[in-house]
Amino acid sequence: MTTKDKYKKVAYYPGCALEGTGHSYNRSTKAVGKALGLDLVEVENWNCCGAMEVKNVDPKLQTYLSSRVMSVAVNEMDMDVVMAPCNGCYHNLKKAEYDLKNDAESVEVVDRLSKKAGHKTYESGQVETIHALDWIKDAIGEDGLAARVRNSLSGIKVANYYGCMYTRPRHIFPEKDAGPGSESTSKPHFMDDLLAAAGAENVEFPLKTACCGGAHTLSDSDTSTKLVLNILKAAKLAGADVIATECPTCHTGLEMHQIRAEKTLGETVDIKILYFTQLLGMALGLKPKKVGVHENISDSISFLKQKGLA
Amino acid sequence: MPIHEKSLIRPENLKTHEQLVIDGVDVSGHWSTFIEPRVVTDYNEALEEEISALPGGEHIHRCWQCGSCTNSCTVNAINEDFNPRYWIYLIRMGMESELLRDKDIIWQCVSCNKCTYACPRDVFPEGVMKATSHWLERKGHTPKSPSMHFDEVFTEQIIKTGKIEESRTIRRFFSRTKQGLFQDWMIEMVMRLLKHLPIGLLTRMGMATLIAPRTRNWSGAANAMQEYIAEQHEKQEQALTLAQLVDVAREDAAA
Repeated sequence: MTTKDKYKKVAYYPGCALEGTGHSYNRSTKAVGKALGLDLVEVENWNCCGAMEVKNVDPKLQTYLSSRVMSVAVNEMDMDVVMAPCNGCYHNLKKAEYDLKNDAESVEVVDRLSKKAGHKTYESGQVETIHALDWIKDAIGEDGLAARVRNSLSGIKVANYYGCMYTRPRHIFPEKDAGPGSESTSKPHFMDDLLAAAGAENVEFPLKTACCGGAHTLSDSDTSTKLVLNILKAAKLAGADVIATECPTCHTGLEMHQIRAEKTLGETVDIKILYFTQLLGMALGLKPKKVGVHENISDSISFLKQKGLA
Repeated sequence: MPIHEKSLIRPENLKTHEQLVIDGVDVSGHWSTFIEPRVVTDYNEALEEEISALPGGEHIHRCWQCGSCTNSCTVNAINEDFNPRYWIYLIRMGMESELLRDKDIIWQCVSCNKCTYACPRDVFPEGVMKATSHWLERKGHTPKSPSMHFDEVFTEQIIKTGKIEESRTIRRFFSRTKQGLFQDWMIEMVMRLLKHLPIGLLTRMGMATLIAPRTRNWSGAANAMQEYIAEQHEKQEQALTLAQLVDVAREDAAA
């Protein structure tokens, strides 16, 4: 089976954020999948992957939590591809996969915890974890996408923001930096490729993989505000109208600290923040409501109207 | 961002005299700034071992001080006192009192993993930062950082229900760190959100705050994780008494 066919039906792992503050990412991912004829089967009775917090209590606990999700996918649903749109979930599943392949102690702990919890132990290699970007890029491709565009994003200048966890650390993503066609960890381009296929104009954005301070968004808000402000200003300077995001932590962080910068530092940066799936969905002819634009904290409706998308 | 080694000199050790003549040589002014020497005597020989025993610190011994971590560091770019390379050096040398000078900022690592990406020796400096902040807290050098409070609230909720419901986590975090939830910017954010938020989503979010989303049949996993945490904690506690063992050994040797 080619990758194209393999990704037509995948296990969908939305994760906790996509049921809360990142609901618009959930809505738009499902809507885009539907519009493209791709099948998403939600992982049954999933649990949190451990996000960015559990590893600080104990890294192997996070490995266990992520492994359980993959165990459910393979053992209870007979699925071999898990698609996670959230960078945090995607990263943690990849990290668990790496550790279970390379670290005997992690294998032992995960096996012990799985047995005590009463489910089958996940073994490395049983599941392939992919991001929503891989999913659309491989199952549909740029040409396929371009052929389905009804409402071109032409005239919209986009800064593509990938954040930390999609590319770092490099060793947990063995398929990246693997020659032509593969994703780059230093200068990722999958989101650029997809949005360009939908007609958008990507600006040269040097902070693609900069950190938004998401880990300390509430526990060290001043640092987060400074980091977000850097990102917003750099995107604006690069000439972008919109920052396209692919992670609910980054997205909510950018929106929250855009407001916080305004309130606490008096710095206003007028730039829109949308999930890449929201932009793609509208390009495929979906109304803004269908892709959850009204569920974002920031208000982009008048901008979208002006660009003929709403 | 270059490494500013100069910033490692304590400001109080920089001496500039407006008028000073030593042995007939005029050493007044900025061009004759002195750096006062200091003597370090209180080495903690167990420091590296102790930090290696905490999760994340395991590979600190691999460091060869190239500085790639500090060079790539997100936090260093906004605060040059945040210097992972230097802290790794101090830990490996056992210079505890020097490390303690920066005790209140080490927890601010944002886990962006740029250091891990850049490190040619697989030290995993991000993990070392976490291990070091845990060490500081467990040795009683610092109170629990806001970040650690957040991690704990978060982990407790996962162990309890299997999932995170954000508003619950946020409320517990604010109450545990004794901060008011109704900060200016927070109110502004909610107001803006409410302006365009549809009733359907509002109801769903309201329901989630009343009834926490749960993973079914979770108690087995919850118990297994709690047991594991307790077991690890015990092991780490033992490792953290290494310094005392060194002292005992030294006394024995002297006797």
